[in-house]
Amino acid sequence: MKALFTICLFFLVNLTLAQTMIKGTVKDAKGETIPGVNIFLKGTYDGTSSEVNGTFVLETEEKGNFILVFQAMGFKSQEIEIVLDGGEKNFNPVLREAINEMTAVTITAGAMEASDEKRAVVLRPIDIVTVPSAMGDIIGAFQTLPGTANVGNDGRLFVRGGDASETSIFIDGMKVGNAFGTTASNVPTRTRFNPNLFKGSFFSTGGYSAEYGHALSSALVLSTVDAPVRNQADISLLSVGMGYSQTLVGEKNSLTASANFMDLSPYQAMVTQNFDWERAPYGWDAEVSLRQKWGKSGMVKAYAHTESGGMKIWQKVPGTEGRGQLVDLKNHYTFASGSFKQTGKNDWSYYGGISYSNNVDEFTLNQIDIRNQNQIMHAKAVALKGFSDKFSLKTGMESYFFNYEEGLRSEGLVWDFTDLQGNIFTEADYYVSNKLVFRGGLRAGHSILADQTWLDPRFSLAYKFENEGQLSFAAGKFSQMPVEQLRIAKPEVQNVKADHLILNYFLTKNGRTVRAEAFYKNYKKILTYEGSQYFYRNIQQTGTGYAQGFDVFYRDQKSVKNTDFWVTYSFVDSRRKFAQFTELVQPGFAPRHNASIVVKHFVSKLKSQLGGSFAINDGYTYTDPNFAGQMNAKTEGFRDLSLSWSYLPKPNLIIHFACSNVLGRDNIFGYQFSPQPNEAGQYESLPIRQTAPRFIFLGIFLTLSKDKTANNLNNL
Amino acid sequence: MKKNILILSLTLLAAVFANANNDAYEKAMLKEIKTMGQAGPVEEMQKSANAFARIADMNEGQWLPDYYAALAYANMGFRSQGSLEEKDGYYSQAKKHIEKANAISPNNSEIVAVQGYITMGELAADSNSRGQSLSGVAMQTFGKAIELNRQNPRAIILMAQMEYGMAQFFGQGPEKACGLVDASLGLFAKEAAEAKEGNLNPTWGKRLAEEMKERSCK
Repeated sequence: MKALFTICLFFLVNLTLAQTMIKGTVKDAKGETIPGVNIFLKGTYDGTSSEVNGTFVLETEEKGNFILVFQAMGFKSQEIEIVLDGGEKNFNPVLREAINEMTAVTITAGAMEASDEKRAVVLRPIDIVTVPSAMGDIIGAFQTLPGTANVGNDGRLFVRGGDASETSIFIDGMKVGNAFGTTASNVPTRTRFNPNLFKGSFFSTGGYSAEYGHALSSALVLSTVDAPVRNQADISLLSVGMGYSQTLVGEKNSLTASANFMDLSPYQAMVTQNFDWERAPYGWDAEVSLRQKWGKSGMVKAYAHTESGGMKIWQKVPGTEGRGQLVDLKNHYTFASGSFKQTGKNDWSYYGGISYSNNVDEFTLNQIDIRNQNQIMHAKAVALKGFSDKFSLKTGMESYFFNYEEGLRSEGLVWDFTDLQGNIFTEADYYVSNKLVFRGGLRAGHSILADQTWLDPRFSLAYKFENEGQLSFAAGKFSQMPVEQLRIAKPEVQNVKADHLILNYFLTKNGRTVRAEAFYKNYKKILTYEGSQYFYRNIQQTGTGYAQGFDVFYRDQKSVKNTDFWVTYSFVDSRRKFAQFTELVQPGFAPRHNASIVVKHFVSKLKSQLGGSFAINDGYTYTDPNFAGQMNAKTEGFRDLSLSWSYLPKPNLIIHFACSNVLGRDNIFGYQFSPQPNEAGQYESLPIRQTAPRFIFLGIFLTLSKDKTANNLNNL
Repeated sequence: MKKNILILSLTLLAAVFANANNDAYEKAMLKEIKTMGQAGPVEEMQKSANAFARIADMNEGQWLPDYYAALAYANMGFRSQGSLEEKDGYYSQAKKHIEKANAISPNNSEIVAVQGYITMGELAADSNSRGQSLSGVAMQTFGKAIELNRQNPRAIILMAQMEYGMAQFFGQGPEKACGLVDASLGLFAKEAAEAKEGNLNPTWGKRLAEEMKERSCK
């Protein structure tokens, strides 16, 4: 009994003790007061919040040793040991700023990001697919962004004086080989992947992270959707084909399977074409995407895409009569990848994956059968450790396997090569404060075939001003093995090298975005040669070159109601000694002046989004053999006005109509010349034109799900 | 015997202690729920959020303190006149708390409704660029909350607001949204009639429904 009394007594005594009063003012490092700080005694209900002027009063009846905690948004928590013994105590803590992922400065040099989640972005994913001139191709939208050139007879991505092979494309961090469909020369191509797959993209026109290698000028990193929101079926009927996609969503996993079929024959029968088609382009594709949550924060993804298609086209030969030569092309392509990400203990996180691309082209050209096969395997594992909110380190390993085979089968000639590359990289981010960040990275690689080891250091920093604008600087060395068509002709060729220097200003505020960038890039070890594919001669690696210039981008979603527009201007001064050229010339794929405008306007009454885009440049260089010199002539400037109309009569139904080159301008991308002069001593020429005066696209997209408001706006 | 008494008294004491702790929890919660109901501007809401965060720290197995802390931060986001960054800061705090609540009590209609409410706030903060990506997510979340408990008036009134916005966007009539408003008003009345003294469960949202009825569903 005695014990119980003692215990009860102890409690009574405890309760009747005098109060302790804790007072003070909370300030930040600059001496400004902080309101709304949560101040409490750990392990008790006793607590309070600081007032608007930073002052606080906390009364407590506790006694003994306690920990007083100060917590506030945007600051590091502070804990102070105190002894409560009645009376008054004064504390005036100074809270240190915490590095806030959401508001801290980000390095934007060279980078243009499209994301719904992040802050320093140029576009949202939805903007990409609604650019009128893009016709649903991701790359078409990037061609309205600074640093890119519109090369209408190719369709691929040309960045700052670099050729199309200098842009590497990654899906969920994994390399994609042959991301563009195979096509005949001067027939533009498209990316193989449906924009609907991706939740965001990171497009860099230079100075990118050490994580990305085998890319000389540019990296395009696409991230696939993590978790679709609902079960749904998407049906699309297009003027050029049809598609079906089914999504099934489980508690921890989801599956999307889709199939598309495309044939331009009926369309070409109705709309005038510039080209002489024997068989219009046709094809089908099928893909499956699986996502599985792994524990609390991890994710595993698997994706497979396979497609097959072809075309037959007569291509005129300058200086000859008749339809010219018949190109018969068939393509089979498969891409498969698996990737994972997981968060570990103690601020470790991991990601990686493996991908495989297999591209087979079968040509018949002048009755010669040709078969080319390109296989790329890429494996990668990365570990990221946050040592504090200021310092983090990323380290990774990568290996590439390249196998390329090319053959003139009817001639019994087949060549191939195999290369294995190992890479390691490490990169450190150091935040001095929310306003200043440094990044240093190092990338090393070795190629067995080229017997070459290389080291590419990279560095960048960014500073954020009081007005939220930020200035970034990036510099680094970049390398890439030459294209497989040249490597096969001379397997010992080494990396082509480039140095990048970039200065960038970026400000996004209240629905308006300004971005300005100046750059300098120089090239070393560019390949020069004589002859053409399958018959390259005298391959040398003594070419050099440079590209310099600036670009500006302005986007405004605020000034005009229901209207979003952006304006881009890029100036590129590029010269290089490459391919068959024996001196520095301005490449045909690097127009000096490039500009574009994209406008989208929503009209509620019409339930419609109206869009327009206009692109212009100052023309493409070419060599006219009738005159002396190389790249001695230039075409008229390219101009294109595209319009689109998306009509949403019901939430789950979209009707999309788009037309490119509404004004019907006859854009010329260069000229082909006869190999020999005619009797009058002149080389005869044929212009390289667009496939058709216009491309007209009509699509009906229907979404079926329990949620009647779902639609596949992303398809546009 | 002595030993038995000691054990008995210690057990009793433990029960008293636990009870005292529980009483303290309920007392603190009741007080803060009342304060929050009267809180107006962001600064007052911050105090409520802080108070619930403190109670949450003390009661790790309870979902309600984190739920209310999340709700307070979400309300701060809606009421803030500040920059987008500031609003996003509140929403990110709200998400932190609601995720904690969700881990303690999974598949809870009230928690899912607040998850949707936070998404709705993020959407409203920058509807131009977030509308397309977030409106589907918000509707989906409210749908899930209703599925988990068809009697949850908060899930229904929040869904009604989304439905109304969608109908306006597509130029349709407000009938569907207003039907939901009426349904929620009925459920709010039922909830008020059944509420017991010392109830800690969520009861907010009636004013939203009444305002919407007045404004859009006359």
